[in-house]
Amino acid sequence: MISYRNILCSAVAAAALLAGPALAEDKPAALGVGVFSFTSGGTAAYGKPGRDAAELMIERINAKGGIGGVPLSATYVDEGQGTEGVIAEYRKLAGDAATEVMIAALSSGNCMALAPVSDQMKVPTVGWNCDTHQLYLKDAHPYFFRPNGNTVPEFVAYAAYLIAVKPDVKRIAIINPDYAFGHDAAKIFTTAIKAFKPDVEVVAELFPKLGAGTYQTEISRLTAARPDVIFSNLWGGDLENFVRQASPRGLFRSSQAVLALGESSMQNVQIPEGVIVGVLGDGWWMSPDAAANPETREFAEAYKAKYGKWPVFPAMKMANSFLYVQAAYDKAMAGNGGKWPSRDEVAAAMKGSEVKTLTGTMQTRADNDGVVDQIIGVTAKADGHDGPVIGDMVRYKGADLMPPAGEDPIAWIGTLSADLPTKLPQPGSYK
Amino acid sequence: MFETIVPLLIDGLANAALIFLVAVGLTLVFSVLRVLNVAHGSFYSIGAYAAASLGLWVVGAGLPGWLTFASLPLSAALVAVIVGPLIERTLIRWAYGKSEAVQILVTFGLFLILEDLQRIVFGVDSFYEDTPVQLLGSIEIGGVVYLTYQLVLILLAAALLVGLKLFIGHTRIGKLIAAVVADREISQAMGINTNRVFMIAFSLGVFLAALGGALTVPQAGVSPGLGADTMVLAFAVAAIGGLGKIEGAAVAAVIVALARVLAIYFAPELDAVAPYLVMLLVLLVRPYGLFGSATTRKI
Amino acid sequence: MPLLPLATGAIIALVAATFAFPWLEFVLTLAIAKGLAALGVAILLRGGLISIGHAMFFAIGAYATAFAMRDFGITDVFALILISAIISLVAGLLIGAFVVRYRAIFFAMLNLAISMVLFSLLSKFYGVTGGTDGLRVGTPTVLGMVLEAKGFATFLFYAAIAAMVLAGLAVNAYFKSPLGEALSAVHTNEIRLEYLGIPVRGVLLVAYGLSALLAGIGGTFAAMTIGHVLPDMAYWTDSGHLVLVAVLGGISGIGGPFVGAAFLELVHTLAAGVTDAWNMIVGAALLGVIFFLPKGLIGFIRPTKKGDLA
Repeated sequence: MISYRNILCSAVAAAALLAGPALAEDKPAALGVGVFSFTSGGTAAYGKPGRDAAELMIERINAKGGIGGVPLSATYVDEGQGTEGVIAEYRKLAGDAATEVMIAALSSGNCMALAPVSDQMKVPTVGWNCDTHQLYLKDAHPYFFRPNGNTVPEFVAYAAYLIAVKPDVKRIAIINPDYAFGHDAAKIFTTAIKAFKPDVEVVAELFPKLGAGTYQTEISRLTAARPDVIFSNLWGGDLENFVRQASPRGLFRSSQAVLALGESSMQNVQIPEGVIVGVLGDGWWMSPDAAANPETREFAEAYKAKYGKWPVFPAMKMANSFLYVQAAYDKAMAGNGGKWPSRDEVAAAMKGSEVKTLTGTMQTRADNDGVVDQIIGVTAKADGHDGPVIGDMVRYKGADLMPPAGEDPIAWIGTLSADLPTKLPQPGSYK
Repeated sequence: MFETIVPLLIDGLANAALIFLVAVGLTLVFSVLRVLNVAHGSFYSIGAYAAASLGLWVVGAGLPGWLTFASLPLSAALVAVIVGPLIERTLIRWAYGKSEAVQILVTFGLFLILEDLQRIVFGVDSFYEDTPVQLLGSIEIGGVVYLTYQLVLILLAAALLVGLKLFIGHTRIGKLIAAVVADREISQAMGINTNRVFMIAFSLGVFLAALGGALTVPQAGVSPGLGADTMVLAFAVAAIGGLGKIEGAAVAAVIVALARVLAIYFAPELDAVAPYLVMLLVLLVRPYGLFGSATTRKI
Repeated sequence: MPLLPLATGAIIALVAATFAFPWLEFVLTLAIAKGLAALGVAILLRGGLISIGHAMFFAIGAYATAFAMRDFGITDVFALILISAIISLVAGLLIGAFVVRYRAIFFAMLNLAISMVLFSLLSKFYGVTGGTDGLRVGTPTVLGMVLEAKGFATFLFYAAIAAMVLAGLAVNAYFKSPLGEALSAVHTNEIRLEYLGIPVRGVLLVAYGLSALLAGIGGTFAAMTIGHVLPDMAYWTDSGHLVLVAVLGGISGIGGPFVGAAFLELVHTLAAGVTDAWNMIVGAALLGVIFFLPKGLIGFIRPTKKGDLA
């Protein structure tokens, strides 16, 4: 069907061309975008907001006349079908000239698999949510852009925040999902914590499989280990299940919890107050910077009206990725005298770009990785808002926590000085 | 040492209770019908979805919370009464006497269809309904807080094991089932309506699977993919205990659960492999399972 | 031999289809890879044995390729295929020596157990296997030549067709040989075979080794065409799908598994987007074939033969 729809799209475009030069210079009837996210499986709890935000952004961009006068038309691909199917869908979409740009993918595994394909098919591709620092470690990917930032600053930021609020921490336990994201985060977080405070001990390290459903035995194990701090980057349905099962068993009373992706689940499950949460970047729609931007408020209100919930950070990452694509087209067209840009010209425009987003700035480095700020805080309540919020916030500059391109990131974290957390902005300073 | 052993045992038994519920239906159906039902895991997840839906409805309708307890077995019974006879009468009955390859394939086809049907009916979201867990509260043992619900599950599984043995040994239908298990041809010759026994046994198997699914909802919820994972675990436990042996399934459930819990405590990377490693080790020594025996080959 | 023009026609149709729709190249390469594995499963089915664990050899072939590239720096496509073939054959003979002692459900379950052990190990040992993310497989070289990824994909497509033809001829010859005839006889009446002095376990071990070899070669093609290997390749539902592919296409000849695989991959590709319920379509197709078309899809175009699923 995807292929039929695209054939139809191309047919419409061809008809438009045949109809005469009056219609358009050489602009297509629609700008085809391939959008990849999880819409099935337990991971959909996190992936669905991404897709919802994509639909809303397309609606809003098209309502203002599209990009350079061309409306966006998206083809959605479910990452829940497995990497093999995702690659096949990508190849099929890329093989059709009507799809000019891709926003893919949510999962780091899929980004790793798609990056070489994007280079091969020469399609500019924006990794909208995936954040593994391994993406650009071995190979360069000239057509794959990941402006939303990587795991190193994301999890070093948690280590810094934790040391700032709990300088006497001794015993930490980790429960992360059993794939690259979980293992990388565990490594980055412990390396950073030990750089800041060498006598910290890791008393338990558990990696339940993605979608495990039940965590009862893990919760017993964590309780028995008596940690001061429990760090987790579980997400989506997994995080919700973990919180639901751990809360009644008192885990969050006996230890300080750090739920790195907590913001994305706050509206679905009751996370106790005082748990350290964040947004893996700057995508908190209520942050002071975001609140100062009327566009953001408008987007959030429209999102709430349409889907019944406030936009969680995956939704903001998706929305920001659309702005990133839009900025690339605007820049490319400005550079070539208003003509419709080719895929190559769009990729060239993305290179090194700096884009103002709904929540901050996306700075693209020379290696196509992105630098964004990191917002962290604790779960709290606020008057006048019908949902949980983040209090005691800090906003770290992305560049302060990002290893230089080409350097081994784990070794770089090891060289961080012990007093870095005291030199960075302090918790509560971002108001 | 004592500090670790107590949580270890309780976690082990709590795990074993759920695993036993997963496998006992599969092994019961196999003992009577001689069909390995690959769609068994789907009945488990359908039971879970049914219980979650019914429980959410009870809560949503403002009915008293204790009704959510009743909704668990009730939804399993509903699934068994609706789905059991329907599938046994059509697909499974057709497969009797066919080769194992055909039987496995028929139920695999059924598994694929049921997996998608669940997705169409219940969507891709996770469901969660934990009123029973909240009502029962928690209890501290050996420095670790447990859900009282977990302990109730252990008692429930033990009661179910005893109940099943009593049912088969002391009721009329149970004795008929036992007779068919012992010798199908002779039972038939003696005038036992084997078709009816098959249908009852199959529906009972569906009920046990659905009950397992229903009981897991209050503490773990239900999300897509539960059926496939459950299926292979049920296989492992049934094979370790000996296909068709109910007490075998109980012993195997305890062994597998302890292996898993030990892994999580002392070697977390072995957690997923534990059930299959146990299965492989047992089958290497006793290919027909702990309680099973080889059937004679027919010329 | 009336089948020859039919087979030739089918291959020409495959090639022609990729000229009309270039993205089919990837889909069909993958279909042939899975067809090879399904052919292996079909060999066992001929002997009356059903394995719900055969995806493990597919995964062994695929991971052998990934490890050979990552850890030993071997990049030549033919060397990779050869290495994967040898490793899966050896694995097949080792595991086979143990499992061919069992029949029916027990054979199926043992295969399942071993494949799930492999699946969990591949998923859990993150440091070695890349865990559930799997490993990336780069673009291999062809006899010292470095091809661009696109050129290599086309090369691989034709290599897969060649492998399919070679495997077809070899298995055909095997079926006609005394060993192959003995295999069918195991299904019909094993004990009579023993009375005739034919070593049944030896016959089955050869069949098992051959089926593992085919699945492994399928796996290496899949690894190279997808560019990625994943533990899911060894999950039990994938094993079920291999049996399904074989039965769907028809297990009596060598064409069936490939017809089944091509049918399944095309249904999957075309159904994605129209409906999420492709498992349902495939499950229903399987039941339909078992109930109404015991010869498999290939039964539409060719007369009944012995060895059909009954």
